[in-house]
Amino acid sequence: MKRILPFLIILSVLGVALGSAWYLKRASITTQPRSATGDTPRPNIPSLVAPGAEPPHTMGPVTAPVKLEEFGDFECPPCGQFHPVLKKMHDEFGDRLQVTFREYPLTAMHPHAVSAASAAEAAGLQGKFWEMHHLLYDNQKTWHGQFDVRPTFEGYAKQIGIDVERFKREINSDLVARRITEDGKRARSLNVGGTPTLFMNGREMPFETIINEDKFRAAIKQELESAKR
Amino acid sequence: MSQQFADAPDKHIPTNSSLLTKRSTYIYASVAIISLLGLADATYLTIEHITGQSVRCTIIAGCSEVLSSKYAVVGGFPLAMIGAAAYFSVFSLATLAAFGYRFAGTLLNLLVAAMLLVSLWLVYLQAFVIRSFCQYCLFSAAITFILAILLLIRWRKP
Repeated sequence: MKRILPFLIILSVLGVALGSAWYLKRASITTQPRSATGDTPRPNIPSLVAPGAEPPHTMGPVTAPVKLEEFGDFECPPCGQFHPVLKKMHDEFGDRLQVTFREYPLTAMHPHAVSAASAAEAAGLQGKFWEMHHLLYDNQKTWHGQFDVRPTFEGYAKQIGIDVERFKREINSDLVARRITEDGKRARSLNVGGTPTLFMNGREMPFETIINEDKFRAAIKQELESAKR
Repeated sequence: MSQQFADAPDKHIPTNSSLLTKRSTYIYASVAIISLLGLADATYLTIEHITGQSVRCTIIAGCSEVLSSKYAVVGGFPLAMIGAAAYFSVFSLATLAAFGYRFAGTLLNLLVAAMLLVSLWLVYLQAFVIRSFCQYCLFSAAITFILAILLLIRWRKP
């Protein structure tokens, strides 16, 4: 017994480790989708869902059968990877999709996240939110490593043809700060744990689905099919 | 009679380990127990890596930059999975060493020394190349550091 005891211990630990890994993987895949409309009761989450900044930044008609709502952080690398995928879907599905962007800067990790969110919101006050949104994501790697991002963002403002002086004033305005806070409150009320988080017609999509172009396209098609019925 | 019972736990050590001191046994047992923390950490990271969850930016862990970097995969395998295998090996070798298998002690020293070097390299990458820290990766480095210290104590005073 003494001779085989260490091997029994080792085998038990191996069994527990593999079992835990299997359980974690299964738990991760079968996570219950959460509802953004607040109509399904969820445990430990306030039933009242915050509305977010009004009016929201949207692309596509309000009558679109599939509505996507993204919570994003411009400095988060996976959001940068997700951006071209979402853009491609928007181009492919056109008016059948409505895309909404919500600010969720994760300040603890990303020192420029709030500045970037403010730049997008300030551009939004001049009607060019999406132009700034695209530029920030496309050039994420450029400004992410910079110490002072203001000159870069002002350069983007000039590039998209907005009033740079007004942009510089409004980027630090209460209105911009309030919009980011309102979106953040909505993220919190929906228990959004990270970025990018995407809700499709109110249901949270698994990250592995949305980051894969084919899976994401298939999910949108399926949603369009069920909307027809 | 009662004295016999009090001594009983020490008699677990097989005869071929008569040279193994009580102190070494405790150190090996501690190494085995601490390596389980590393195993749990690395297993969790492996699953997060496989399911793509940790690749997101989350409000609690700062791992997205680190785990989405090219350094997180070695030869097609997630680095976390290799780490889990390494911690499992540490646990196995330390358990065998605690039960008196001397070859296991030698292999354990070599393995932990290699893990320490890899951990130092990974901390360097996080600090100076990726410029982001992942707390789960730092926890793993801390565990390896503690294991190395324990084995160093045993080696210095056998």
